[in-house]
Amino acid sequence: MNFRQFASNNVFRNKRTYVAHFLSSAFSVMIFFTYSLLSFHPNLRGEIVSGSTTLSVLGTMGMKISQVIIFVFSFLFLLYSVSAFIKLRKKEFGILLLLGMSRKQLNRMLFVENIVIGVAAIVTGILVGVVFSKLILLICATMLAVEHGLPFYLPGNAILLTAAAYLALFIIVAAFTSFMTKKGTLAELIKAEDKPKPEPKASVLLSLLSVLLIAIGYACVFIFVIGRILSFALLFGGVLLVIIGTYFLFTQLSVYIMRALKRRPHIFFNRTNLLTISEMVYRMRDNAVMFFMVSIISAIAFTGIGTSLAIGDPGLAAMKNPYAFSYISFNESDYKNDFEQKHIRLIEETLEREGFAYQMASYTPAHTQEGFTLVKLSDYNRLASALGYDPEMLQHGETLAAPSTISQNSKYKLEGAGTDTVRMVQFEGSWEMTMHIKKALQHIVIPEPYEVYIVTDSDYDRFNAGNLMKVNYVEFVVPKWHDTRAVTRELTDAIYKGTDTGSLQYTPFQFSALVTQWVESRQTNGILLIVSGLVGIVFFTFAASFIYFRLYADLSRDEEQYRMISKVGLSRKELAKTVTRQLVLMFFLPLLVAFIHSSVAFLALQQLVDFSVASHTLAIFASFLAIQIIYFFVTRWRYLNHLYQKVM
Amino acid sequence: MEILSVRNLGKIYKGMVSYEALSNIDLSINQGEFVGIMGPSGSGKTTLLNMISTIDKPTSGEIHIAGEDPYTLSQNKLAMFRRRELGFVFQSFNLLNTLTVKENILLPLTLDGVGIKEMNARVEALADKLGITSILDKRTYEISGGQAQRTAIARALIHEPKLLLADEPTGNLDSKSARDVMEILEKRNREDQSTMLLVTHDPVAASYCSRVIFIKDGQLYNEIYYGDNRASFYQKIINVLSLLGGNGHEFPSVRI
Repeated sequence: MNFRQFASNNVFRNKRTYVAHFLSSAFSVMIFFTYSLLSFHPNLRGEIVSGSTTLSVLGTMGMKISQVIIFVFSFLFLLYSVSAFIKLRKKEFGILLLLGMSRKQLNRMLFVENIVIGVAAIVTGILVGVVFSKLILLICATMLAVEHGLPFYLPGNAILLTAAAYLALFIIVAAFTSFMTKKGTLAELIKAEDKPKPEPKASVLLSLLSVLLIAIGYACVFIFVIGRILSFALLFGGVLLVIIGTYFLFTQLSVYIMRALKRRPHIFFNRTNLLTISEMVYRMRDNAVMFFMVSIISAIAFTGIGTSLAIGDPGLAAMKNPYAFSYISFNESDYKNDFEQKHIRLIEETLEREGFAYQMASYTPAHTQEGFTLVKLSDYNRLASALGYDPEMLQHGETLAAPSTISQNSKYKLEGAGTDTVRMVQFEGSWEMTMHIKKALQHIVIPEPYEVYIVTDSDYDRFNAGNLMKVNYVEFVVPKWHDTRAVTRELTDAIYKGTDTGSLQYTPFQFSALVTQWVESRQTNGILLIVSGLVGIVFFTFAASFIYFRLYADLSRDEEQYRMISKVGLSRKELAKTVTRQLVLMFFLPLLVAFIHSSVAFLALQQLVDFSVASHTLAIFASFLAIQIIYFFVTRWRYLNHLYQKVM
Repeated sequence: MEILSVRNLGKIYKGMVSYEALSNIDLSINQGEFVGIMGPSGSGKTTLLNMISTIDKPTSGEIHIAGEDPYTLSQNKLAMFRRRELGFVFQSFNLLNTLTVKENILLPLTLDGVGIKEMNARVEALADKLGITSILDKRTYEISGGQAQRTAIARALIHEPKLLLADEPTGNLDSKSARDVMEILEKRNREDQSTMLLVTHDPVAASYCSRVIFIKDGQLYNEIYYGDNRASFYQKIINVLSLLGGNGHEFPSVRI
């Protein structure tokens, strides 16, 4: 037996320990690979397209942040797995060192082991990842009925990135293991298994700090949202603070609470509580890092999915354009739209026949040389009353700044129009006037891609003098607009009958419906929805597997423990009760924290949009809770069966 | 020839309350001696052995093994030193259960890069002497405690160390296996002149030694030599132990 044979025997005859480490490594590789497969996907390069600029920015930022986070967490996951692995083998290292193995030999052995496991994990992870992600892409595209889903491609870049990143990671981890064995004297290494663990301590100061950090982090996120300071640093800083706070929450505060429980005799010495609580103090501490990772990862998953669901919400489309139908009629001196009255009557009759309540109002915009759109106050007031807003009053020389896009609306809400006066020059001439801005309006009433100002009717006439083209916008407000798909089809057919919509033939009118825009934007956002759904599922699986690997690693220790206790006389029922309580904590505590974190994120998101995101939030929470409950019962059943076999 | 010399050795465990485990220990062991160390629990005998084993640093004093102070050696040299000059036997055997009996025995030679042929020759000779030839290809969980300890002894002797250190080698064994193990150690000491140092609280095991040193409260208390026969040596050991407050068998010394 030479040294190489010894090292390989050591691996092959100790499969169980290595398999746990290998599986968790391969799993982490697979997750990272799946993610990089998505981020390198040719259809997803650059900005994420969505209906709203704010949410596009958020979506792109979200992708970036989760990319960083998934890498950091893969690294932590790996480190966690390798340190559990090293801990199990401390005694072995002690014996080897005592027999005269030099540090150099030990390091070489560990390095080779790590690299071999690493390379195997990389290959396995990528292979499984390819199969897994192709399957997921296929299922997603079918389920969401997105016509142009994500096509398959040969993920050369993703493979290279994953292989390179993980090779580097495994080398760092390999270096780290030799560092880990260095601490502790030989005597401690040899006795590593017999030595009882010291009781974990918690610092009051750090416990308080954890709550404080989370609060500051939340505040940062709200400043980002309410203050509309769209800075990457602020959002990232807030997320970082919450992450650090959560770490201390689990490592310090949870242990502190458990110890506080221990000091209350009437709770602590109540039947199996003695077992559960004292075991829990250690378990909390041992699993703190796991709990921390699981809750952060789950929170990210929930927030990501929630945000993308909000993007597909009908409310978002309605925020941009409040009118269910728009009929635009172009009238010039020599080219009149003769159909105007007929078409409008058609729309009204159809809506009445189908039983849709509606309000109608129209406006005719004028333009200035600066590119501003001017609307008469009387037109505006009619539109506002159709939408249910208060009418406005104006004097000669005064104007109202009306927001026309979502981002402008939020800017006006926050800081007003910005200036007190605005100079306007007549479009067809040289007459000019400096208008005093009375105030900035708070709702989108005129959905136009330009700056819109409301002026008095007489000022309007002066600016519009000499303009021969009159464009009449007839707007319909229908509260139940998302049910108008059939009506829209019928109206479009009737209005455009006789004109060839396919050619570039000029028609003196245009008809558009909000429901069509909504369906189109859903198509555009479909890919975003798939991606974030996928990332969310991937993250959640990642989180759930942490718990599984943890249980797997602790199984032999638990067996020993329960075998000892059952000799003292612990009934099956009591055993099940103790185990269940501990598993409940392991499964649902991180989930609870994740729920709280993502609720805050959704509250923040709520500030950005005018429609309610509560239903999405609840739907996400409910579905993930359901999955977790199923997962919990399956694990509990398997785990208890295993213990029953071994213990009694 | 002096194999082990311990001068003025002391060990203080630092902590909330510092605790002096050993003080002023002087000890000398010559080539071919078989020395036992006894004492009540908490007397510091394992601490002494650990320091001689180079796994626990003394706070004061010096240790020389075969003329070398292991604590002045570099980490690499220390590994070489353990590999070539020392052999260890533990109460809990400390065999690697991923390896077979033969592989466990070969481990020190493997680490040193000895040729395969020589390894096999040495294992066969030694296994024959220790009566474990038939179990050489078995894994550690397939053999009994006595066999495991004999394997551990073979591993400790395979490289012909200058000094063999044993920490309660019979502690986990039944009386028959314990006697077998002690007879094997005694025989190897007699026939091969290997030097051995043994920590035990079993007076029967101690009676196989050529000299027994008693420690109490971290200080040398007494030492007695093997006389004419084992029975009278055993009686002498029992007498000293009862003087130590151990009532013949081990009891923790009472402290107030």
